[in-house]
Amino acid sequence: MAMRELVTGGAACAVPGSSSSSSNPLGALANALIGSSSKTQERLKEIPVATPTGPENQFFQDGVPLRTLPGSEQDRAFLPPNAQGSEFLRTFHSAYQNDLADAWDDVQHGPLPHVVSDMRAGTVLQPPPTLDGPPQRMLSGLLHSFVDSSRGGIPFRPAQLPLLGLSERDKQCIRDRSTIMGRHFFADKSEDFINSQVNALLHSLDIDSDVHAKGPLPGRYRELEEYWNESQGMMRPVPHVADGWANEFNQLRVNHGNPESWARSFEQQHGSNGWASEFEQEQSQLMAADRMRGANLPNMAAMEQSRMLAHTLAQNNDPKFQNSKFLQFVSKMSRGELIIDDNQVKPAPGDWASEFQQQYNSGPSWTDEYLRNRGPDQWADEFTAKREQVQSADDQWANEFSKLHMNDWADEFGQQVAEGVFGEGTANDWANAYDEFMNEQIAMKQQSDSSRGVYVFSDMNPYVGHPNPLKEGQELFRKGLLSEAILALEAEVMKNPNNSEGWRLLGITHAENDDDQQAIAAMMKAEEADPSNLEVLLALGVSHTNELEQAAALRYLYGWLHHHPKYKTLTTPEMPLSFYHADVAGLFNEAAQMSPEDADVHIVLGVLYNLSREYDRAIASFQTALNLKPNDYSLWNKLGATQANSVQSADAISAYQRALDLKPNYVRAWANMGIGYANQGMYEESIPYYVRALTMNPKADNAWQYLRISLSSASRHDMLEACDSRNLDALQKEFPL
Amino acid sequence: MPAFKIPFNGYSVKFSPFYENRLAVATAQNFGILGNGRVHVLSIPPSPGAPIVETAAYDTADAVYDLAWSESHDSLLVAAIADGSVKVYDTSLPPASNPLRSLQEHTREVHAVDYNPSRRDSFLTASWDDSIKLWTVDRPISVRTFKEHAYCVYAAAWNPRHADVFASASGDCTVRVWDVREPGSTMIIPAHDFEVLYTDWNKYDDCILATASVDKSIRVWDVRSFRVPVTVLNGHNYAVRKVKFSPHRGSLMISCSYDMTVCLWDYMVEDALVGRYDHHTEFAVGVDMSVLVEGLLASTGWDELVYVWQHGTDPRAP
Repeated sequence: MAMRELVTGGAACAVPGSSSSSSNPLGALANALIGSSSKTQERLKEIPVATPTGPENQFFQDGVPLRTLPGSEQDRAFLPPNAQGSEFLRTFHSAYQNDLADAWDDVQHGPLPHVVSDMRAGTVLQPPPTLDGPPQRMLSGLLHSFVDSSRGGIPFRPAQLPLLGLSERDKQCIRDRSTIMGRHFFADKSEDFINSQVNALLHSLDIDSDVHAKGPLPGRYRELEEYWNESQGMMRPVPHVADGWANEFNQLRVNHGNPESWARSFEQQHGSNGWASEFEQEQSQLMAADRMRGANLPNMAAMEQSRMLAHTLAQNNDPKFQNSKFLQFVSKMSRGELIIDDNQVKPAPGDWASEFQQQYNSGPSWTDEYLRNRGPDQWADEFTAKREQVQSADDQWANEFSKLHMNDWADEFGQQVAEGVFGEGTANDWANAYDEFMNEQIAMKQQSDSSRGVYVFSDMNPYVGHPNPLKEGQELFRKGLLSEAILALEAEVMKNPNNSEGWRLLGITHAENDDDQQAIAAMMKAEEADPSNLEVLLALGVSHTNELEQAAALRYLYGWLHHHPKYKTLTTPEMPLSFYHADVAGLFNEAAQMSPEDADVHIVLGVLYNLSREYDRAIASFQTALNLKPNDYSLWNKLGATQANSVQSADAISAYQRALDLKPNYVRAWANMGIGYANQGMYEESIPYYVRALTMNPKADNAWQYLRISLSSASRHDMLEACDSRNLDALQKEFPL
Repeated sequence: MPAFKIPFNGYSVKFSPFYENRLAVATAQNFGILGNGRVHVLSIPPSPGAPIVETAAYDTADAVYDLAWSESHDSLLVAAIADGSVKVYDTSLPPASNPLRSLQEHTREVHAVDYNPSRRDSFLTASWDDSIKLWTVDRPISVRTFKEHAYCVYAAAWNPRHADVFASASGDCTVRVWDVREPGSTMIIPAHDFEVLYTDWNKYDDCILATASVDKSIRVWDVRSFRVPVTVLNGHNYAVRKVKFSPHRGSLMISCSYDMTVCLWDYMVEDALVGRYDHHTEFAVGVDMSVLVEGLLASTGWDELVYVWQHGTDPRAP
C-alpha cells in the first residue's frame, strides 16, 4: 500500500521496472521503454498520480514553491481498478450460496489481510527488499509472473511473501491449479523446469507442495501405459518425462491417489513381483524426495533455474510472445498488483494497483531481451564473477543503442549513463563487449519502434510561441488544469529542451493526468537535462521505491546525496556498482547527524526505512521531519501511510486528518481516511470519507469500489444501487461527513 | 465486428444452438488460478461493425472454465466452475433467480461440460477429480460417474450420432470412449505421449474423433482402427487447448492453442492447415463454430477479449 502515498511524489516518474534490473540504470531505461510498448494498452483511469511531496519542495531551486501546486487532488491511493473485491461481495450478497458462504467464512477467519509484505527474494548481496502492497495484488502479480514465465522460458523467481492471509483453500487452489496448468503451458520445457517454476511459486506463497495436492500425473500410470502399449504391440513412444519428474511426483503423491487400487491393478497386470520392484523403486524415490523436501526450496529453485538459464534464455524469440503483456511481469516478479479478494475484503491503504494496472496494460517487449542481457538479480551469485563486465556491457549496450536511435531520449539517457552519474564502464570495456551485444541490438532495434518510451508531443499546441510557457504551465498546474498545463509545459520544453525543471514539472503533471508513460519519459528527460537535479533524483528514487525496485531506488537516493552540495562529502567520488540498503541508510543517518535540521534527509530516511519495512524507524523519521516541517501535508500523508503499514490504523487516521486540515481538498488523504477506517473494520465510518473523496474526484474508480465494499460490509445494501449508478447526490445526502 | 472486452481472462466461448446472434463466454480472474469467475451472455449485432452487447452476466465465486448451452431449452446454460460445482443458469430469468441450480458433486475443478445433442436432456461434466459425471437437468444429483482415468479429465464430448456414446480426454495421455449403457469404458486410445487436453467427434462421421494435446499436435483418430492416428496435424507451437469439428464440413476443424493462435484445418487434404488467425495477444483457450451460421467463428483468450468473425475475414476488423 502505502509506499505509494508514502512517496507520492514518486509516482510522477514511476518507472515500470524490473526488480532484477534495479542496480542498473538500464533497467529503468528498458522498463521505461517497455512501459509504452504494449499492443494492448488500455489505460486505466485510475493510474496513480504523483503529488509533489515535501522532499521535492525543498529542492525546488528556482524558487517556484512546489508545495503550492495542487499535487494531490487527482491522486488516488487505491487498490487496483479491477472490481474483484466488490465482485466477490456482490456475488456473495446476491447469491447466498453455500460455497460462497464458505468463502466468506474463509475471509472472516483468515488472518487479517495486512498490507505489508515482503516479497522479493533478496539476492545474496542485498538485504531482502520489501514490497508493500495489498496481499491480493502481490499474489496476483506473483501468479502473473508465474504464468508469464511460460513465455520464453524465463525462470520464475521465488519470492518471500509472508502474511498473505491465504486460506488453506486458496493455497490448495493455487498449488493444484498452477501445477496442472503449468504442465500445459510449460509444455516444451523439461520436467525439471516445470517443477522449479511451480516450486518457486508455491514457496513464494508459503505453500507446501506435498499436501493434498493434485500432482502431476503419477509416474506409475505411465508405467502401466508402457506395459499397455507393449501389450498392444505398439511402439513405445519416447518417454515424455524427464527424470526430475520423480521428485515432484514423490513430493506430490504422498497424500493423494489410491495406491491400493493402483497396486491391485498393477498386480493384475504385472504380477506381484513387478509391483514389488516398482515399490522398492518408489521407496528410494520417496527417500530422495524427503531429502529434497528438507532442502531449502528457494535455493533449490534458484539452483534449478540458474542451471536452466542458459538454456531457457536462448529460447523463444517470437516477437509476439515478447510483446505479451505477461512478459512484463517476469522482471517484476515481486510486485503483486492485481487484486484477488477471495480472502480479502478490506481494502488496504494503498494505490499501487492502478500503477500496476497501467503497467500491466502496457506491454514489455524488451523484458525478454533485457533479461537476456542482464539476468535477474537473483542470479547475482552466479554472475558475481562476471558482474562487472556485465554492468559495463549494459552501459555499453545503452550507449550503442542510443547511437542507433539518435532521436530517442534513450540516446541521451545512454550517454548520461556513460558519462553522467552512472557511468562506470570504460571505453575499453565497451569495445570488448560490443560484439557480444550486437545481436541483441539488432533484435532490440526491431522491437524498439513500438516500445521505446519516447516523449510524444501533442499536436496543435496553442502554447507554442507563448512568451513564457513555463510560468503559464505552473499557473495552470496550480489551478489543476492539467491537460492545459501539459500543453504549456510541452511548449516550454520544445522551446528549451534542456530545461530540467520544465521536464520535471511536465512529468509530474502527466502523472497527475493519468499518463505514466509520458510521465516517465518526461522525468527521464529531466534527468538527462540535468543529471544532478536533486529533485529529479529524489523523484526517481522515490518512484523506484514505489516500484519496489530497491537497488534502483537506492542508486537514485545515493545519487541525491552524491550531488547534494552539503552531503556529497559523505559519498565517494565514484558511484558504487551496487548499493546496500544498510550503507545508504547509514549515509543518510550521517547526513542527518551533520544537519539534523534538514527535513529532507529525514524524509529520505523515512522512505528508506519503508523500503526495509522498519516502520517504527520510518515513523520516527517522518515525525522528526514533521517537527521541522509541520505544514507539509504530503508528509502527514506519508506518516499516515506508514502507520497504516505498520498496523497502526488509528494513528494513521489522525495523521491523515492533519493532512486534511492543512489541505482540505487532498483527495488521496480523504480516501486514505476511508481505507484507514475500513481497515479497522469500521466500514460505516469509512463510507462518508469515500463519498467525500469521490465528490472531489468522481473519476476515482477505485474509490467507487472501496465504497461498494464498505457499503456491503456495513450492510447498506440499500445504497448499493446509488453506488453502482454513481449517484453522488444520493450518496452525499445519505452519508454526510 | 469489434471485439468484446471482458474483465477477466477468457476460458471458453459457445454459440447458442438456438439463436444465431447469441454467445456465451466463460471467464476467470487471474488465469483461473485463484479468484472469481463470470459467465457472460453476449448478443452479436445484426449489422457488422456494431458492437457486441452483453445481455446478461453471472458472477461466480471461483473461475468458470467452460460452459454449454442446453440443446433443449433456448435460455438454459450449464457452467463448469473451478470450485467443483456445476451451475445451471436460465438467461430468461432475472439475475436474482440465477443460478437455477448448483450441482455440487465433483470434488475438484470442473473443467468442461458438454450437452448431449441427441438426447437433449442430459449433459456431461469432466473434472480434475479424474471423473466424468452424467447429469440430467431434472435431477439434483448425477445419474452416473465414470471414473477410470488416472489423472484430470479435461474434456468430454458426446458422439453426435449415438446418444449414449461419448469420448473423454485426460491428462493420463489417453482418450476413452464410453457407452453409458456399459459399466466401463469401451475403448482406451493412448492418443498422445503428453496430456490430452480436448477431444471432439466428427459431425459427419461418427467414428472419427480429434484430439488436442500438450505435445502441440492435433491427431485425428478412427475408433475402428485406433492403433495409429488417421492423421497428425502439426502447426501449433505450443500446447493445443481445444479442437472442434465444423458443424458444416466434415473434414474442417478449428483449434486454439497456447501459441495464441486459432487455426483452421482440413484433415483430408495434404496441406491441412487452411487458416491461421493470430488476433489474440495471449493464450487462445476458447473457440467455437456457429451451427446456425456457416463460417461464423468465435474465440476468446487470456487477453480478455472475445472475437466473433466470419471465416476469411480479419477478426480484428471493426
